[in-house]
Amino acid sequence: MTENTTTEIVPTVSVTIDGVALQVPKGTLAIRAAEMIGVEIPRFCDHPLLEPVAACRACLIEVEGMPKPQPACAQVVGEGMTIRTQQSSEVAKDAQEGVMEFLLINHPLDCPVCDKGGECPLQNQAMSAGRGESRFEGEKRTFDKPINVSAQILLDRERCVSCARCTRFADQIAGDPMIELLERGAQQQVGTASDEPFDSYFSGNTVQICPVGALTSAAYRFRSRPFDLVSVPTTCEHCASGCSLRTDYRRGVVTRRLAWDSPEVNEEWNCDKGRFAFAYLAEGRITTPLVREDGELRPASWPEAIDVAARGLAAAGSRTGVLTGGRLTQEDAYGYAKFARAVLGTDSIDFRARATSPEETQFLRAAVAGAPIGVTYTALEQAPFVLLVGFEPEDESPIVFLRLRKARTRVVSVGAVATRGLDKMGGELLAALPGQEAAALRDLPADIRAALEQPGAVILAGERIAASAGAPSAVSTLAASTGAALAWVPRRAGERGALDAGALAGLLPGGRPLIDAQARAQVAAIWGIDTAALPGLPGLSGDDLLTSASRVGLSALLVAGVDPVDLPDPALALRAVDTAAFVVALDHHHSAVTERADVVLPVALVTEKSGTFLDWEGRPRPFGQVFKDALTMSDATVLGMIASAIGTSAGAWDVNGIRRELTALGPWQGARAVVPGVQPQAAAGAGFRLASWRELLDAGVLQEGEPFLAATARPSAAIVSAAAAARLGSPATVTVTGPAGSVTLPLEVGAVLDDVVFVPMHSSECSIYRDLGARIGTAVDVTAGGAA
Amino acid sequence: MGLEESLPSGVLLTTVEKVAGYARKGSLWPATFGLACCAIEMMAVGGPRFDIARFGMEVFRASPRQADLMIVAGRVSQKMAPVLRQIYDQMPNPKWVLAMGVCSSSGGMFNNYAIVQGVDHVVPVDIYLPGCPPRPEMLIDAILKLHDDIQNTKLGANRRAQMRELEAEALIAPATQEMRGLLR
Amino acid sequence: MAELPQAVRGFWVTFATMFKKVVTEQYPEDSHKYPTQPRFHGRHQLNRWADGLEKCVGCELCAWACPADAILVEGASNTDEERFSPGERYGRVYQINYARCIFCGLCIEACPTRALTMTNAFELAEDNRASLIYEKQDLLAPLLAGMQLPPHDMVPGTTEQDYYANRVKGPAAVEGEVQS
Repeated sequence: MTENTTTEIVPTVSVTIDGVALQVPKGTLAIRAAEMIGVEIPRFCDHPLLEPVAACRACLIEVEGMPKPQPACAQVVGEGMTIRTQQSSEVAKDAQEGVMEFLLINHPLDCPVCDKGGECPLQNQAMSAGRGESRFEGEKRTFDKPINVSAQILLDRERCVSCARCTRFADQIAGDPMIELLERGAQQQVGTASDEPFDSYFSGNTVQICPVGALTSAAYRFRSRPFDLVSVPTTCEHCASGCSLRTDYRRGVVTRRLAWDSPEVNEEWNCDKGRFAFAYLAEGRITTPLVREDGELRPASWPEAIDVAARGLAAAGSRTGVLTGGRLTQEDAYGYAKFARAVLGTDSIDFRARATSPEETQFLRAAVAGAPIGVTYTALEQAPFVLLVGFEPEDESPIVFLRLRKARTRVVSVGAVATRGLDKMGGELLAALPGQEAAALRDLPADIRAALEQPGAVILAGERIAASAGAPSAVSTLAASTGAALAWVPRRAGERGALDAGALAGLLPGGRPLIDAQARAQVAAIWGIDTAALPGLPGLSGDDLLTSASRVGLSALLVAGVDPVDLPDPALALRAVDTAAFVVALDHHHSAVTERADVVLPVALVTEKSGTFLDWEGRPRPFGQVFKDALTMSDATVLGMIASAIGTSAGAWDVNGIRRELTALGPWQGARAVVPGVQPQAAAGAGFRLASWRELLDAGVLQEGEPFLAATARPSAAIVSAAAAARLGSPATVTVTGPAGSVTLPLEVGAVLDDVVFVPMHSSECSIYRDLGARIGTAVDVTAGGAA
Repeated sequence: MGLEESLPSGVLLTTVEKVAGYARKGSLWPATFGLACCAIEMMAVGGPRFDIARFGMEVFRASPRQADLMIVAGRVSQKMAPVLRQIYDQMPNPKWVLAMGVCSSSGGMFNNYAIVQGVDHVVPVDIYLPGCPPRPEMLIDAILKLHDDIQNTKLGANRRAQMRELEAEALIAPATQEMRGLLR
Repeated sequence: MAELPQAVRGFWVTFATMFKKVVTEQYPEDSHKYPTQPRFHGRHQLNRWADGLEKCVGCELCAWACPADAILVEGASNTDEERFSPGERYGRVYQINYARCIFCGLCIEACPTRALTMTNAFELAEDNRASLIYEKQDLLAPLLAGMQLPPHDMVPGTTEQDYYANRVKGPAAVEGEVQS
């Protein structure tokens, strides 16, 4: 999928390895050259994505003309070089065995209790490249074990072989150099500063790349052994980065998740949320359908619950609102889109469980829905310039952050906070008050405009452009006028898929406009219904849908996995659910919505169904079913059952059938909606402007049940500039007061614009929507002190 | 099967139960169902050293109509399952089944498509005997435990009350899907 | 003898046998007279150290070695408040499914701490499959004199190395020099 597949001639050199002559690209390391002819040299510190360091010395080889054995992982092959590995050289073999013996001198050999035992490079290579016996007879060096380098990551120092993979990862890839090799000689050990734990968002990767069992995670410690795990390749359901994961389970319970190699997307990394936040899969599930009777929910059989749901929804018909949330697979979102249009005849459907605006709806219809893959990770890596609007990559799409950091691209973020993540990317801040990004984009400095005009420049717009009046219009206009590529990076994994599946008012699958006659005909043909049966006019979406429902404009709601506290007006959402005469909730966990619903239907989790997530690029990331014997049904299957109870079939409702329909439909080729042209609005009200976004680790429902992960989250704080803090008298805590209430948080000084206060959107201590009643850009009061 | 099944519950029935149980356990006739290695041990039980004649069971019947205990000795392949069931159906009531060895108890180490994962998928099993194969003493032990069961079998009204109790218990027991660990 | 009728000759065999030693073993009445060989593979036992702490570290190697997949082990961390075995890890769940176990003894070979051994007990028949699954409490060796029921601390002043080297001989008694 690379933009421009380079076919330039790479200069090569000739080298002879173990008597085999071969040509390799110039600059190849000897260890890779040997791999090309199938010779595996033992290694610990070597990692293809990290800089060579030659720390462990396990890969010693003999190079003709050099007096001593050389480390293959750091030896660049030169023209005419003759290399002999352990296969053909006694010297190399002896050197490797000697190093292995040295590495094992202080290794405790506690493999039976070590989490790495069974999948340990040290274990394997000690067998393949070591001597059977050790000549060491002294006492082994011991340390207290284990120590916490963070709440999640545990370190057993005596197992460490000082390969520096973890410290190099933290420094080179994540940009969080909080762990370092300390001391010298036999006392050398990985450590942190005494007051700063290794609270990196990417700390879990060090556990995965540790070639011994020195770094382990608290979540997986002693949970299982690798040899009785079943591994299934899956896709991460936490954000729109679309990481490939490996899910390991035993006896019906997921025990761990690892990053899986996917060079085009996440390379070999993932974030801690994707790695550790899976406890919710096993806990607190809804097990049976529930039906409300005399005001109480009671367990019911599937046929009964489907029957009740079908009768209620059929009665409401086109006066039904559908809220799907952002976590569904593309297939399930398509199920809702089809169910709403073909079975209920309503177009009031919205996948966005967050702040929205009609302008954003228009923007998504015009610029994103059904668009082919444009900007890719590779394009980001090659881009000369990237402009971020309403988007904080480290929190909202961590793999985008890693790519931008890897590429050392010039990054400019339009916003009010120069974050730690922006700093790690070497980015600059283009000051814009929260909610005023559009004005900043209109008055863009000339150098940034010039940078955007370079070929390959990219604008990344986050989901928060919806909270900023005029921003969706401004990014579209800017992209059109400068020729920069525009990509929309949502936060939740299912948003892009839901958009392309048509789970938004006014849109049919593939980005088809609802009002286009040709689009309607295509969709009606695939669904096997009459074109006239499709709703004629775009329905309600966003706040309008909820407002209408709360005023008995809609008589039924069909809700899937929406947590009201995610919405900018939780009270309105709950009022809507309360007011609607009939509410059907499809969910796997209880929420404020299921408590109020008339029918609750349990559905499958990502481990129990197969499906596809579209990542922010629009790249399909399909995944298979982990638990093949799960008895739960996916959302689309359940909707299919309701549809047949109502008496409309409308095509396929199973994953494979839906995939066939989606392929048959394909993306829309015809005319698209026009991009919105909303003008920026001047800020209203005085006081501190609220800047806020969802941090990677917060109080999200999918992170429940994982205390070690939660402990590595950034502590909630109100962040203001140094000047503003001085104005407040630099108190330890401040009280932030919004229209609906106030919270007291520790005060932190950061690189924030004056008159701006940053408060996390939904952390365990505060939720701006619920506690403050404030939105991004709202004027809030900040006063010193408070009861905390 | 007869008069005893229609007796009212009470002292008379419990006495009849005891007598009937004693008679039944003392006259078990096994149907030979030797399928594999376990059958060798089963034959040893019939020989002089272990001498199953001590329990009145020396008559291994090749005809199901004359047998009331089926000792399933060995792994049951999927192909053999219908045969097993037919033999069982041909046996007259009351009848009992003893799953001898781990293969007939659960499939044993042959957890694969060819082997029935426990004969209880095909016929109701009264006693499971682990071992691979079980030594003859183990078989005798299992038979004696079965004798105890037979001795304490209830009849008529008592049996029906017991069935209702068992049924109620089974209804609240967790489904296999909900079980954790090896039970699943 | 040759002139005797065939029938009488036949009965002679029966008659002569009456004076031979009886080979029938009176199991179960006289079972103590016919013990199994000490090497007989019977029911498993989870052993204890001399102070009562469990030897099992929950490493699952027995489960890995088992050809019949009859063993389920789940490890967990010992804490200072609740210690079941010396060292960091203990077997929280230990189940052997005797409806699958073939008594091959590979689990015994695999055990790194000699926690799992086999007894000679063989009277295992049950009338349902669930009772054939033995849990940890069914498999643990009985507490001998001087042993304490875990959870309890290690003998003061000892490390898990002292346990593995068999230097701990009782709740307080330690043989020879103890590693500091």
